[in-house]
Amino acid sequence: MFVAGCGSNVTLDPVTIPTPLIDPMPLSVAIRIPPEFEHYVHEDEVLGREKWRIDLGRSNAALFSQLFGFMFDDVTVLGPDDDASALSIDALVEPSIDAFEFSVPSQSKTESYAVWIRYRLKVYDSAGDMYANWPLSAYGKSEQFGLTGDEPLKRAAILAMRDAAALMIMNLDKSTAISALKDRPATAVAAAEPASATQEEQAQREPRNQLPQRREVKLPPPGPVAGPAVLSMETDEEMSRETIPEGSSDD
Amino acid sequence: MTDATLRSGKTLTAGLLALALSGCITSRVEDAREGMTGIEEGESIVILAKSYHLGNETEDKYINCVEDALSRGSKGLRVIPHRQFVDSLFPWFEPRTAPAETKGLPKLMERPGVAERIAEQNVRYIVWLDGDTDRVAGGGSLSCAVGPGGGGCFGFAWWQNDADYNAAVWDLKGLESAGSVTADVSGTSFLPALVVPIPLIARARASACKGLADQLRDFIIDEPEV
Repeated sequence: MFVAGCGSNVTLDPVTIPTPLIDPMPLSVAIRIPPEFEHYVHEDEVLGREKWRIDLGRSNAALFSQLFGFMFDDVTVLGPDDDASALSIDALVEPSIDAFEFSVPSQSKTESYAVWIRYRLKVYDSAGDMYANWPLSAYGKSEQFGLTGDEPLKRAAILAMRDAAALMIMNLDKSTAISALKDRPATAVAAAEPASATQEEQAQREPRNQLPQRREVKLPPPGPVAGPAVLSMETDEEMSRETIPEGSSDD
Repeated sequence: MTDATLRSGKTLTAGLLALALSGCITSRVEDAREGMTGIEEGESIVILAKSYHLGNETEDKYINCVEDALSRGSKGLRVIPHRQFVDSLFPWFEPRTAPAETKGLPKLMERPGVAERIAEQNVRYIVWLDGDTDRVAGGGSLSCAVGPGGGGCFGFAWWQNDADYNAAVWDLKGLESAGSVTADVSGTSFLPALVVPIPLIARARASACKGLADQLRDFIIDEPEV
């Protein structure tokens, strides 16, 4: 990593997580990986001097594919152009990245590198209607100790992704009630709305009489100024509890 | 004079020089016991840092130092490397998910596979480290110059580092807190320079590591006094 007065290019390798100690949910789920999610690149200028280009590459796609494989009984990974209508699934999940931020020691005046990633998970039911929309913030921090070059920043990013994985394992069902989609009367799964569709458009299409109310979890703004953009577990649970429809599992 | 005598003489000289050239350190290590401890053959401990989501800044360097110090010597304990332990129990000891209090342990143990993984590694105690080392004061002035005829430094600088750490010991046998050990170390380093700078470094973090690890070992083993 060459920093002084110049720029840095950081490219992440695909991330893997350990096998989690959980019981998978008995759901058949498809995950659609949008192109901008699979090839996410963040460019930034630190203190007006150092230019950074952070290429997350396939790391997010690899993480989500692996994670969902652990979390659900049956998972199909779809490319951006794949048609989900022929699949017999309970739900379709489409992840995206709303924001990526990082800090380096020259900014924070500490020995640490930190990464914040704000993901968004859109969950569609078997009819292709948006069922839940969950923004989640993840945070990772790494020191330089024992690491060289751009490794501390890579490690902070990996820890942020791992943090997101832990949060999804813990709260995906609480925040989206995805388990309630099990064996709902399925018509053909229409191709899900593109990630760029507005929430208002989605809300208009939502058949309110039969679907649980869509839930949003309010988060503090990410970034170094706001401090670690992390929900406390209790707050998150309490917010989720109020909005979970009856019949959804509690973990 | 034999080679061995010469070597030991040199070692002694180097040791005395190092002692003479170190800064000032004041140290206080205490423990607070809440329950009986003790460790049996084959039982192990794991050293973890409290979550950085809670604002804890304990350095990896410090955790590794305590792990090494606890596992060394004739009274060395069996220490499971913290990353190995956290990976084996993913995701229940991540910074976001790790239990903050012992009252979360019973629920944690009920999660699928958790009790089995802990039993496989025969972990008896989890030690949660909290705290960090900060520079709290400093001053003086030092300037260096280089010219065609050579260079040199003149002046005097000093700084003070405070290393404050707390180790909370959880007993997984009774799923309860066994107590805690604290180490508060203050070290003042000096750097006088008259052509050549002579650093007199006080290693506060290293001292806090050794002090806390020694006390922690005694706390856990808890051998009855004869």
